Amino acid sequence: MTGRKPFRSLALAAVAGVGLAVWVFPVIWGLLTSFKTERDVLAYPPVWFFKPTLDNYREVIFGASSIMPNLWSSLVVSTSATFFTMLFAIPAAYALARLKYPAKRASGFYVLATQMLPPVGLIIPYYLALQKVGGLDTYSGLTLIYLTFSLPFAIWLMVSYFEDIPFEMEEAALLDRAGRLRTLWYVILPQVRGGIAVTTIFVFLNAWNEFMFAVVLGGNRVRPVTVAMFNFISVEQTQWAKVAAGAMLAMLPVILIGLFAQRHIVKGLTVGAVKGGGRR
Amino acid sequence: MSGNEAMRASASVRIEGVVKRHGTTTVLHGVDLAIEPGEFFVLLGPSGSGKTTTLRILAGLEPVSDGRVFMDEVDVTMREPGERDVAMVFQSYALYPHMTVAQNIGFPLKMVGTPSVEVAAAVNEAAAKVGIAHLLGRTPGQLSGGQQQRCALARAIVRQPRLFLLDEPLSNLDAKLRMETRLELHALQRNLGATTVYVTHDQEEAMTLADRIAVFMDGRIVQVGTPREVFSTPRTIEVAGFIGTPAMNFVSGAWSGATVTVAGVPLAVRASTDQPREVKLGVRPNDLRIVAEGLPARIERIEDLGDSCIVSFAAGESHLKLKSDRLHPVKEGDEVRLAFEPGAEHLFDAQTGARL
Repeated sequence: MTGRKPFRSLALAAVAGVGLAVWVFPVIWGLLTSFKTERDVLAYPPVWFFKPTLDNYREVIFGASSIMPNLWSSLVVSTSATFFTMLFAIPAAYALARLKYPAKRASGFYVLATQMLPPVGLIIPYYLALQKVGGLDTYSGLTLIYLTFSLPFAIWLMVSYFEDIPFEMEEAALLDRAGRLRTLWYVILPQVRGGIAVTTIFVFLNAWNEFMFAVVLGGNRVRPVTVAMFNFISVEQTQWAKVAAGAMLAMLPVILIGLFAQRHIVKGLTVGAVKGGGRR
Repeated sequence: MSGNEAMRASASVRIEGVVKRHGTTTVLHGVDLAIEPGEFFVLLGPSGSGKTTTLRILAGLEPVSDGRVFMDEVDVTMREPGERDVAMVFQSYALYPHMTVAQNIGFPLKMVGTPSVEVAAAVNEAAAKVGIAHLLGRTPGQLSGGQQQRCALARAIVRQPRLFLLDEPLSNLDAKLRMETRLELHALQRNLGATTVYVTHDQEEAMTLADRIAVFMDGRIVQVGTPREVFSTPRTIEVAGFIGTPAMNFVSGAWSGATVTVAGVPLAVRASTDQPREVKLGVRPNDLRIVAEGLPARIERIEDLGDSCIVSFAAGESHLKLKSDRLHPVKEGDEVRLAFEPGAEHLFDAQTGARL
C-alpha cells in the first residue's frame, strides 16, 4: 500500500501529525509548566528552556495545600461509581439485548434519552434531593449522582457488545444445561470482556474527570482532585505551575489505567466461532 | 457401549398437532410425527418449509403455539431445553470461541457437575470418535471448517443424549468434505444408536442418511417414508419435483384407459382408469427414452458428465430432461421422439397435485 501510493500516505501522515500536535501540545505545555517556577511561567515571550524545579510537586504532594487527600477522594468516588455502574449495567444491557419483553423499544430509547438532558439543568434538583436525604458532601451521595449518568451510558455501550454474540451460542449453552445465569457467566461474559474493559475505562474516566457535580455537591469532606486544583486559583493570583503539577498528578493514574487496559481491549475474540454467521 | 445399552439410551419422539405462529404468519400448520428409538430420521424440505422450526421445537428452543411434544411418551412440551436430555449441532456450530476444543466438548459435562477426571476421559473418548483428539488444546478460531464441525459433533455426543438433533450440519463444508463427513456421520450414528433427527434441504443427503424421511412443504409434512418409498411413490407433485436430480419431468395430459394423451400423442401407461380425466404425467429423467414412436421433442442441450449425460428437450410448452449413462448418437437441434416404459410413469391430479 505504501509503495503504491507514497504521496497519499505522506499526506495522511502529515494530517495525522498535525492532529497529534494539536492534541499533545496542551499536555506537553502543562508538563513543562509543572517544572517551572511561577516567574518562568509568566515570562513573556514564553521560554522553552529553563531551570527545572520540583518545588511545585513538593508543594502539591507534601505542602499545606496537598492534593493527596483529594486524589483519594477522586479514587473512592470514581471506583465506587464504576463498580456499581458495571454491576447494574451488565445485566441490564444483557436484558435489553436479549430478552423479549413488552416495551423493549421504549425502554431502550429511555436509556438514551437520559443522555440527552443537559447535566447543568440537573444540578439544582440534585442538590435539593441530596440535601433532603443528607447526601451532600458524602461519598455515597456523589457516587449516586454519578450513577445517574454513567449507568445509561454504560448500558447503551454494552448492549451493542451483547448483540454481537450470536443467539445460537446461548441456545447451545441452554441445551448444554447451563441455565440462564451460568450461560451468562461462562459463555456470554467471557466474550464481551473487551466491551466490559472499554466501558469500565470510559465510566471511570468520566467520573475521575467530572468537575461540575463535584464542585456543587461535594464539600470539605468529599473534594475530588478536579475541584481541589481550584484552590491554586484565587482572586489575587493564579498559581499556574501548581495547577499544572496537580493536573499532571491527576492524569497519572488515568494514563496508567489506559496503558494497562490497552492489552485487554482486544477485538475479534469471536472470530471463527460461528461460520456462515447468518441469522435466520 | 453394546447395541442393547444404546437402544435403551435412545428415545422415541412423538409430536402431535404442533402449530407454530409468528405473529400473523403460521410457520407450522399442525404437524404430526412419530420417530422410533434409534432411528435416523431426516426432516427434508425447501427453505422456509418449517423443518428447522420443528427441530427447534423438539429441542425446546421454540415454544409451540399449539400441540404437544412427547419423548418416550412423556409430555415434554413445556420443558426447558436443558431438561430434555437432547443435544444439538447447530448449522453455525455455535462453538464457544473463548474455550479450547477440550473445554468446548467438556462443557455439557461440567455443567452437570461431572468430576473433572471423568470429564477429561469422556472428552478424549468423544474427540477420538470424531477424529480430533490431536486438536484438544486449540481454540475454535484455529480450526478448519471441518474440524469445527467435528468439535460441535463431539460436544453433542459427549454426554450420550437420548436424542440427537442436527441442523444442516454439513452445509458449511465443501462438496468433497461433505460427502466424506456424511458417511462418517452415518457410521457414528449407527455406532451410538441414539435417535437422531437431522434437518437438511439437500435431498441427496436425506436419501443416503435416513432410515425415514419426512418431507416438509409450506409448514406441513406431506409425506413420511423410507428414502426408497419417497423416491418411488411421491405422494404429491411437489414431493415428486423436489426429490431426485435432475428433477422429475412433468407434462399435462388426458388419461383414459391405459393411455395418457400428451399434445395429441398417446403414451402407454401401466395404470388404467375408466374415468377419463386431466392429469399431470411425471417421468424421471432416468426413465425417459429416445425411441421411434412417441412425444416429438427437439434437443436443446446435451450436458456430458463423463460417466453419463443429461439431454434437455423442448416438447411444445414443456422442457424435459433425460439422464442416461449411454451417450446417445444425437446432437443439439435434432428432432427426436420420447417415450418411457409403462410403469415408469407417475400420475398426479391436475388440480390438487395428489398422486393417483
